[in-house]
Amino acid sequence: MQGGAETTCGCVNAVVFPFPRVVVTGLGLITPIGNDGATVAANLRAGRHGLAPVVLMGNPDLPVKVAGTVKEFSVDSTNWRDWAWPPEYGIPRETLRGLAPHGVYALCAVQQALRDAGLSPEAIAGDDETGLFCASAGSAMLLHSNLAQMHAVRGERGNPMGVVSSIAGTLNFNLAAHFHITGAVCGFVSACASASHALGFAFDAIRLGRLRRVIVVGAEELNAETLLPFLAMRALSGASDPLLASRPFDAGRDGFVGGGGAAVLIIEEAGFAAARGARARAELLGWGQAADGYSVAMSHPEGAGLRLAMRRALEQSGVGPEDVDYVNAHGTSTPVGDRAEALALRAVFTAAGARPRISSTKGLTGHPLSMSGAMEAAFCVLALKEGFMPGNPHLVTPDPACEGLDLPRASVPIAPRVVLNNSSGFGGSNVCHVLRAVPD
Amino acid sequence: MLPPSVPDTVAQLQRFPLEVRDAYRHFRSTGDIDALHIVVLAVVRDYMPRPCEAALTDGMRLIEDLGYDSLAVAETVFFLEDLLQVRIENKELIQLRTVGDLRSFVACKVEQKRPVVA
Repeated sequence: MQGGAETTCGCVNAVVFPFPRVVVTGLGLITPIGNDGATVAANLRAGRHGLAPVVLMGNPDLPVKVAGTVKEFSVDSTNWRDWAWPPEYGIPRETLRGLAPHGVYALCAVQQALRDAGLSPEAIAGDDETGLFCASAGSAMLLHSNLAQMHAVRGERGNPMGVVSSIAGTLNFNLAAHFHITGAVCGFVSACASASHALGFAFDAIRLGRLRRVIVVGAEELNAETLLPFLAMRALSGASDPLLASRPFDAGRDGFVGGGGAAVLIIEEAGFAAARGARARAELLGWGQAADGYSVAMSHPEGAGLRLAMRRALEQSGVGPEDVDYVNAHGTSTPVGDRAEALALRAVFTAAGARPRISSTKGLTGHPLSMSGAMEAAFCVLALKEGFMPGNPHLVTPDPACEGLDLPRASVPIAPRVVLNNSSGFGGSNVCHVLRAVPD
Repeated sequence: MLPPSVPDTVAQLQRFPLEVRDAYRHFRSTGDIDALHIVVLAVVRDYMPRPCEAALTDGMRLIEDLGYDSLAVAETVFFLEDLLQVRIENKELIQLRTVGDLRSFVACKVEQKRPVVA
């Protein structure tokens, strides 16, 4: 039983109360495989990737040939006056001038999520029950541009919007001001686990009664300044064929493929959502996190932190390994990371006699870094809501480390009831969410 | 004088209407202050956080009437500094309250006169 209605501690004065349930009421998706929930669900179901050829820094010799590009947006320039976005979204100049490129994606995704949740911007403006938790690594491109300008004048002046548009808090600064958020606003930086942390702590804020609604945002921009530092780490795939470049859990994988976009989940206390007639898309049952304590960048070789994070998430959610129908794996397509996750999955599930379907949707999207945890949690919501489990269409020869794991190539037309979403980030941070289906 | 903080400020005038670019060229070749005023008003309009179509008049207050904030004022001034090769100090900046203040201040700077502001 989740919640604290019962106690076995025998403390006469213990204060116990039922934890509120937390539901997902809105999604906003600007992703390499689509810019709305219906398109994304269709592409997940069909196994259609969103990778496209790229030439970074104008250098065709670089061994980075494809990426999960964001369509219908143009934010390559360092000057916001050059940017373009789909006409259904409105971005006033007073907001635009403080945004980073990924802030444009994020602002559009929030507008989309509000519409999906049946909320108007006026409904959340000044609402003390609504918080905003964001995940962003900042904009390396704008930071570089702004600092180069500052160096050119030996520090005498710089872009007045330089700080708010480029440092890691840029999403929370700008979105909170634009949407007039008064409940709470904060940001999360744990690399590729950032957005998963944002969603987890948003869940806690509602569980603890501090907020009744949280807008969770993850966003990442796709450009040379963001992606090429990973080339220096030898972490990127050099493949030019989109069908071979991002192939998580395959024996021939050679690194990850970058991606960009924004993902937004609006989560609410179930009673609060029901009172306004909102439709719950899924229930967020719980989450767990643990750390590897091992390396600044490499996963623990046996996925020790991820293993513990999964177990903690399942325990808090009151479900066992056998209850999980689908796992959206972190699976970035790196040799070390995928192996570690496979071993952690075997320890949690195979050892318990459980065999959920497992896929990494990064085969289709590439890896959008700070955004990925929110994007994949949203994919889990789509899977629960639409009644299917995404597959691994680029998987040809599974790594022997995956022995015993169920890695379907095609999506599975069976409705999952309980799903697990995994994320891992630099420094050994690991975060997992458990979600379940709710009746229509 | 500082080097420009962007590689080619004049090139940024390409985003302005032809008559503004013509006015800038005319000012640079003749020193005609009336032409400079056209440029300054266009820059003010370009940096207004909340664009409006109404004609700009000298009495309009940058913050209260045009939606400027301190960052937008700084953006505007930095652009003008680069474009016109003048230097505007912070203590001068905070005295600029209206469109007319800015217009006459920039003209004075360009003419190397002592600026007169409210």
